[in-house]
Amino acid sequence: MEIFKIFGLEKSLLFFQIVNFLIVAFILKKFLYNPLMKMLDERKNKIDKGLKDAEDARISLENAAQERQKILSAAKADADALAASSKVSLEETKEKLTAEAKNRSQQIIDEAKQKADAEFESMNKRIGEMSVEIAGKVVSQTLAGLFTDDEKLKITARALDRIKKGGYEKSAN
Amino acid sequence: MQISPQVLFTIADFPVTNTVLVTLIVDIIIVLLIVAVNKMMSLRPGRLQNAAESVMNYFYSSTKDIAGDRVSFIYPWVLSFFIFILIANLIEFIPGFESIRFFPHNAAAAGEEHGVPLFRAAASDLNFTLALAVISVVMSHYYSIKYTGIKSYIGRFVSLKMFGLFLLVGMIELMSEFVKFISFSFRLFGNIFAGDIALGVTKYFFVMSAFEMFVGFIQAFVFAMLTMAFTTVLTEKSH
Repeated sequence: MEIFKIFGLEKSLLFFQIVNFLIVAFILKKFLYNPLMKMLDERKNKIDKGLKDAEDARISLENAAQERQKILSAAKADADALAASSKVSLEETKEKLTAEAKNRSQQIIDEAKQKADAEFESMNKRIGEMSVEIAGKVVSQTLAGLFTDDEKLKITARALDRIKKGGYEKSAN
Repeated sequence: MQISPQVLFTIADFPVTNTVLVTLIVDIIIVLLIVAVNKMMSLRPGRLQNAAESVMNYFYSSTKDIAGDRVSFIYPWVLSFFIFILIANLIEFIPGFESIRFFPHNAAAAGEEHGVPLFRAAASDLNFTLALAVISVVMSHYYSIKYTGIKSYIGRFVSLKMFGLFLLVGMIELMSEFVKFISFSFRLFGNIFAGDIALGVTKYFFVMSAFEMFVGFIQAFVFAMLTMAFTTVLTEKSH
């Protein structure tokens, strides 16, 4: 046909172009699309896995942080309790010690008082005895010349009796 | 500029035209591209791989949006049409592309004293565009039979539903399938051939070049998208 000639249509050229494109399409599919698709899928899987791993890591990190917080708060509570109890025991110890010291000092004072009293008593006794002895001696010396032995004895006995009865204060004066 | 491509020489009765030569160059460029992408292919993509992946991903996802699960066999064709036509269209914008002249042995006798251009945009040859149209249409019909069954396929064109009214619809349907050969081939051919002439007339005015580049891209895209749409419609089960 004339129109085919004008447009340069020719069976051999048309056939060549058809075969050419089919070959190109085949090569493109086999050597470009398939490897690229495979690569895309592979990358997609890798990214999915990476994202999942990151998510897991985030969760475990969060858990770790929670755990840390828990441990910290437990430790703080422990420390608080310990501090409180030690304060209480300190107070108790202080009170106990003070009471003990008080008791002890009271005891010492009492003991000292008792000792002082006993000492005073024994001193009194001794002074009494000594004064009786001295008085006896003085009287016996003084009366040696005045009275007979019989009178002496009587007077002495009477004086001694009086002294004994009246106490050492009177006779001392 | 004549409509038919110029024959440079013949090999065993096969006329090697300047468009055939350019088609072969396009083939070589595609092979080099495949080799380059394969060589650089890694899980962490470089620039070239990124570009190839994004183009592929675009066609894959847009085909998937329309064709659904039939994307697996439709998208390779769509993408191949796009890449092949795009490279064939853009190659003519290499400076000096049509300026290189070739002198066939009977040039003077045929009134071609200045020789013929060695290279010519492949899509400015109706053989090229018609071949693609034939592949596109035949491919869509092949998949139609394969995925909907021969009964459903014939029922699309011959049907007695609605008291024979659908017989008319089927006939129109059948006619439209033949029209596809013409629409596919002449759309691409007309755009690129007219662009060539426009560039020749405007003496390669750069705005015109930019516009023609745009046209080349759009035509490749349109061809690919129409192929996708027609194939999707023909492989639809319920009709």
